[in-house]
Amino acid sequence: MVTASQQVKNKIEVKDLVISYGSNAILRHVTLDVRENEIFGIIGPANSGKTSFLNAINRMDMMRSNMTVTGSVSIDGINTREWRNVYALRRKIGVVFPLPVGLPLTVYDNVALAPRLAGTAGTKADLDELVERCLRRAALWDEVKDRLTHLGSLLSGGQQQRLTIARALSQSPEILMLDEFSIAVDPVTTMRIEDVLKELKAEMTIILVTNLVQQANRLADRTAFFLNGDCIEIGTTEQLFSGKAKDQRTNDYIGGKFG
Amino acid sequence: MFQASPINHHNAQIQKRFKMLFGGMMVILIIPVVIILATLIFRGWHSISWTFIFTDPTNGMTAGGIFPALFGTIWLVVVSMLASVPLGVAAAIYLSEYAPDNMLTRLINLATINLAGVPSIVHALFGVGAFVTFFKFGTSILAASLTLAIMTLPVVIVSSWESLQSVPRPFREACWNMGATRWQTIWNVVLPNAFTGILTGIILQVSRAAGETAPIMFTGAAMFLPFLPNSVFDQTMALALHLFVVATQVPDVPESLPFGVALVLVGIVMIMNTVAIWIRMHLRGKKKW
Repeated sequence: MVTASQQVKNKIEVKDLVISYGSNAILRHVTLDVRENEIFGIIGPANSGKTSFLNAINRMDMMRSNMTVTGSVSIDGINTREWRNVYALRRKIGVVFPLPVGLPLTVYDNVALAPRLAGTAGTKADLDELVERCLRRAALWDEVKDRLTHLGSLLSGGQQQRLTIARALSQSPEILMLDEFSIAVDPVTTMRIEDVLKELKAEMTIILVTNLVQQANRLADRTAFFLNGDCIEIGTTEQLFSGKAKDQRTNDYIGGKFG
Repeated sequence: MFQASPINHHNAQIQKRFKMLFGGMMVILIIPVVIILATLIFRGWHSISWTFIFTDPTNGMTAGGIFPALFGTIWLVVVSMLASVPLGVAAAIYLSEYAPDNMLTRLINLATINLAGVPSIVHALFGVGAFVTFFKFGTSILAASLTLAIMTLPVVIVSSWESLQSVPRPFREACWNMGATRWQTIWNVVLPNAFTGILTGIILQVSRAAGETAPIMFTGAAMFLPFLPNSVFDQTMALALHLFVVATQVPDVPESLPFGVALVLVGIVMIMNTVAIWIRMHLRGKKKW
């Protein structure tokens, strides 16, 4: 039962986030909230800190020796730095990368990997059911159902990207982060994935980093504009895309005057 | 329309000359290999027989077979592999997957590569000091094998490290992002894809150990032993040392005998290398990305 108060509940709260590589700050003092079950778009030109922002949320900064993060990121009100088990945190967050990464495992094993690693695979029948469900939801099942034992890394680029989404869904994530997922995908596949995202929104919170301004317009409920490490503006997508952005730079970027 | 201009002809000429230059270099490189192999085969092949391989040397090593030396070489190679492979692969996994990218790691990498270039006689002296004297293993298969292991360790580490690094980083990133620990990532994604490279690297490096003389000369290999070793604490004969002995130290050896020994030694190394190449071709044939 979804009530009005739950609809505005914040899933992720970011306070005064600063990300630097060595002494070079690439994202400065970002404060924003991502609401539950919304698609939160992040737009901005290259090098504006969008990917690093995603890395800070699932604490991938731990895996990068020169990346430091200050400020706080809270998920469900709990600071991610105080999560005792960072692996459990990452399992709640599915990630899709700019370039499709089909792991050199079979299509089936690609999707079954996350539950197996988490020890939640259950019986063979449970796992079969989960794999099929995730592949169907990623709009890939019909194309690979006869090739589940083929290598996932040898699928076409568009199929691999949907495989990556199926793999992210197999984590039963509460948050799905997509980092410029359509870079290496044809327009038809992009549209299919966009339709999938609109459905998934009912069950999870989605952060969509995109360099296609119109993609944010089509999908996002609210959108943030990052530029050179600063979060210039956050607003509802309607507001930003109807030329009513508060900052002129946002209007210029969305209007195609630079970037 | 599509007429070649003078500059096209000129470029084609230069291309031809460079092709011939590089091709000629390759021929020059192959000549010594062919001569060595041909000499070994022509002058050594009539000493090769089942009795040569499976009997003891007789008449003060001027006749008979090479079985104790062959058997000893296999001992040395196997025991040194048991020591160097787990240690080397584990070190390579640490350096490639766990170690932070900092000065210390780079220094260790550099030291490892340098260690691979240390002359084998230096390893031999280290072996005498460490294993024969300090650990009191005496001159034994154990001491000789460990000396060989120390010598092959750097190259095992470097070749395993390279195989691990050849697995694309995005695979690791994808795994970490889905909540896998480093070890889960290594076990499920990195090692299965680096395995072939690690294995062939190990075989190639270990086959070098089979031909080494200096590291085993002072640590466990004997010129002549009338019996086979029973344990790793016995001394043993070894092919490489046997070749040195029959070629230079023993008078009145028939000419074909050292060539026969050399042929067997080269044959062992070639068989191991062929196996490595075969594994690489067959497992790598199923390209995974």
